[in-house]
Amino acid sequence: MSTAAPDTFNGPIIDAEDLWRTYEMGAEEIHALRGVTFKIDKGEYVAVMGPSGSGKSTLMNLIGCLDTPTSGTYVLRGKVVSEMDDDELAAIRNREIGFVFQTFNLLPRASALHNVELPLVYAGIPRDERIEKARQALEMVDLGDRVTHKPNELSGGQRQRVAVARALVMNPSILLADEPTGNLDTATGQDIMALFDRLKEAGHTIILVTHEREIADHAQRTIHIRDGQIESDERRTS
Amino acid sequence: MPFTEAIRTALQSLRTNKLRSFLTVLGILIGVSSVIAVVAITEGLDAYISNQVLALGSRSFRLQKQPDIITSHEEWKEMMKRKRIELDDLEAVRKACTQCAEVGASVGTGGSAKRGRTIHKDVRIIGITENISRIGAVRELAQGRHLVQQDIDQAGRVGVVGMDLVDGLFGSVDPMGKEIDVDGNKIRIVGVAEPKGAIFGQSQDNFIWIPITTFQKLYGSRRSISIQAEAVSMERFEDAQDQVRLAMRNRRHLTYLKDDDFSIETGESIMDLWQTATRGIYVVTIVVTAISLLIGGIVVMNIMLVSVTERIQEIGVRKALGARRGDILRQFLVESVVLSGFGGLLGVLGAAGIALGLGSVIGSMMSLDFSAPVRPWAVGLALGVSSVVGLVAGLYPASRAAALDPVEALRNE
Ligand SMILES: Nc1ncnc2c1ncn2[C@@H]1O[C@H](COP(=O)(O)OP(=O)(O)OP(=O)(O)O)[C@@H](O)[C@H]1O
Ligand SMILES: [Mg+2]
Repeated sequence: MSTAAPDTFNGPIIDAEDLWRTYEMGAEEIHALRGVTFKIDKGEYVAVMGPSGSGKSTLMNLIGCLDTPTSGTYVLRGKVVSEMDDDELAAIRNREIGFVFQTFNLLPRASALHNVELPLVYAGIPRDERIEKARQALEMVDLGDRVTHKPNELSGGQRQRVAVARALVMNPSILLADEPTGNLDTATGQDIMALFDRLKEAGHTIILVTHEREIADHAQRTIHIRDGQIESDERRTS
Repeated sequence: MPFTEAIRTALQSLRTNKLRSFLTVLGILIGVSSVIAVVAITEGLDAYISNQVLALGSRSFRLQKQPDIITSHEEWKEMMKRKRIELDDLEAVRKACTQCAEVGASVGTGGSAKRGRTIHKDVRIIGITENISRIGAVRELAQGRHLVQQDIDQAGRVGVVGMDLVDGLFGSVDPMGKEIDVDGNKIRIVGVAEPKGAIFGQSQDNFIWIPITTFQKLYGSRRSISIQAEAVSMERFEDAQDQVRLAMRNRRHLTYLKDDDFSIETGESIMDLWQTATRGIYVVTIVVTAISLLIGGIVVMNIMLVSVTERIQEIGVRKALGARRGDILRQFLVESVVLSGFGGLLGVLGAAGIALGLGSVIGSMMSLDFSAPVRPWAVGLALGVSSVVGLVAGLYPASRAAALDPVEALRNE
C-alpha cells in the first residue's frame, strides 16, 4: 500500500472561500454554487451529499481543477488555483488530483496497464518507469493478473478498480470520486468502498459524492449541499 | 506527451479503423501514386527515346521540304509553297558535302500489297537509294540481300520487305524470290528485314523498300524526296549540315536576306518535341496530383473532425488526467500526419506496382527492354508532401480538440 505524498506543507489541503459558479444560459444566469466556504485537512475522508442539481458535481469540478470559480478563491496546498491558466491547471490535475468517475471513463481500446499509465505519460515519466509504477498500482487494487485486459474484458467492479489505480498512480494529494458506486451493484460497491477505507487508512485524502447514506457513513465528515450552498458540515468522531 | 506515445496512439486508432482509414487516404493514395508512376514512366520513356534517337544516328540528318513539326496553319500554308526536293538535289548535295560519309534519299507512300487473293493494306512503300539502310540506324536483314546500286540504276522491280508483310502474305511459306503485287506492279522479294517491333503502337515492320528510281517510275516524281546524310564524324556534324544548306541555297539562288526554303532535321528536333510533350505530361500530372491531394486533404480533415467528435469523452479523460492543450493538439496532429503518411506509403507501393506493370506492358509493346524506375527522391517527396497534407488537414480538428473544455468533454456521452 502506497502512502500519500511526503508533505512539507502544513496548512489545510483545501481552503475554499466564498466560491461561486454561475452558468450563463442565454440571458438567464444559473447559480450552481452560491458562496461555498470550507477547509479540508490532509488525510480527511469527506462525503458530499445533496439532492440532484444541488451543485455537487460543480463543486467537485472546482476542487478537481477541471473548472475555475466565477468568483471566490480556491487554494490547493497553498497554491491559488482560481487564478491559474489552462496549462497550470492541467499540471495540477496531473500531480495533485486523482479522479474516479461514476462511469469509470477508461479508454476502451487501451489495456488496463496502459490506462493506468496515462497520468504518468502526461507527467513525462520514461516508459520503463511508467510500466513499473502502473503495474504496482494495479497490484495494489488486486488486479496484478489483469494488466493486459481491455476494459470490456473486465467486470464493472474491476473497471472501477482500474480507475482507482489510475487515480492513485501519481500519488496525488486528493482522491476525488463522483458517485463511484453509482454504476455498480451493492456488493461490488461495497468492495470499492472497502478499498477506499484502506486508502484512507494509508493516509490518502478522499472526497466522494454520493446519494446513499451507507456510502457516506464510510467517511468521517459529511458536507450537505442544497441549492448551491452548504447546508450542514458534520464530523463524526469514530 | 512524448512523441513515441503520440505515434503509438495514432497507429492504434489507424488499426482500429482499417477500412475507414483506407477510404480516407484514397485521394492521397491516388495523388501520390499517379505522380510517382508518371515520373517513373516518363523517365523510362525518356531513356528509351534518347536511345532510339541515338540509334537514329547522332551523326545523321535529313534534308526535306518541310520540318517534321509544323505548329500552325500559317506555317503549313507556307510549307505548301515550297519547291519539292528532287533526285537532282541529291546529286548536288552528294557533290557539295565533303564532310558527309554517306548521302542517300528516300520517298514513301501508303499502298497495298497482294499475293494471290491475300491483300495486305496500309503498307509503307518506300523508294530508297541503296545506302539508306546504312545511314543512321543500321537495318539488318533476316534473310536475302539489300538493294544494290545496280537495282537503283536499272530501276529493278525488286524489293526488301518488312516482317509484317511476310507474316501477312506468306505465313510459313518462304518469301525469297517470290513476286508480290504492289499497287498493281510486280515486285520480286530479294530480302527480308529484321523485325523491330512497334513504337507507340506503330509497327516498324510494315513496309517494302524498292529502288527510288522504280518508285518514281511507278508513282511519278512529283513527291518531294527526303535526303538523308551522315557526317564523317560527330565533330563534323555541324559542318556537314552547313555544306548541305549552302549547296541548297546556291541551287535555289537564295540571297542572304532570304530564309531557307527547305528544312534540315536532326535527332535533336525529335528530342525537343519529346521533351515538350513530356513537359505537358508533367504539367497535367502535377495538376491531377494537386487536385487529388487537395481532395485527400479535405477528406482527412473531415475524418479527423469525426474522430475528434467521437472521442470527446476520451479527450475529457485525458485532460482530467493532466493532458495540456499542447498534448492533445500533438496527439491529433500526429494522428492526422500518420494517417495521410500511410496514404502516401500506400501510394508509393501502388506506384511501384503501376510502374512495374506499365513498364513491362510498354516494354513488350515495343519489344525492347524498358524499365520505369521508381526514384528514391520521388518516394521521399511523396511521403513528405502527404505528411504536410496531413499536418495542414489536421490543424483545425486538432486545435478544436485541444480547446475543448474538460468538464464539457467529460459530460459528453
Ligand atoms: N454546463 C452547464 N450549463 C448550465 N447549467 C449547468 C451546467 N452544469 C451544471 N449546470 C446546472 O448547475 C446545477 C448544479 O448541477 P450539478 O451537476 O452540480 O448537480 P449535482 O448536484 O451534481 O446533481 P446530480 O446529483 O444529479 O449529479 C444544476 O441546476 C445544473 O442544471
Ligand atoms: Mg452530479
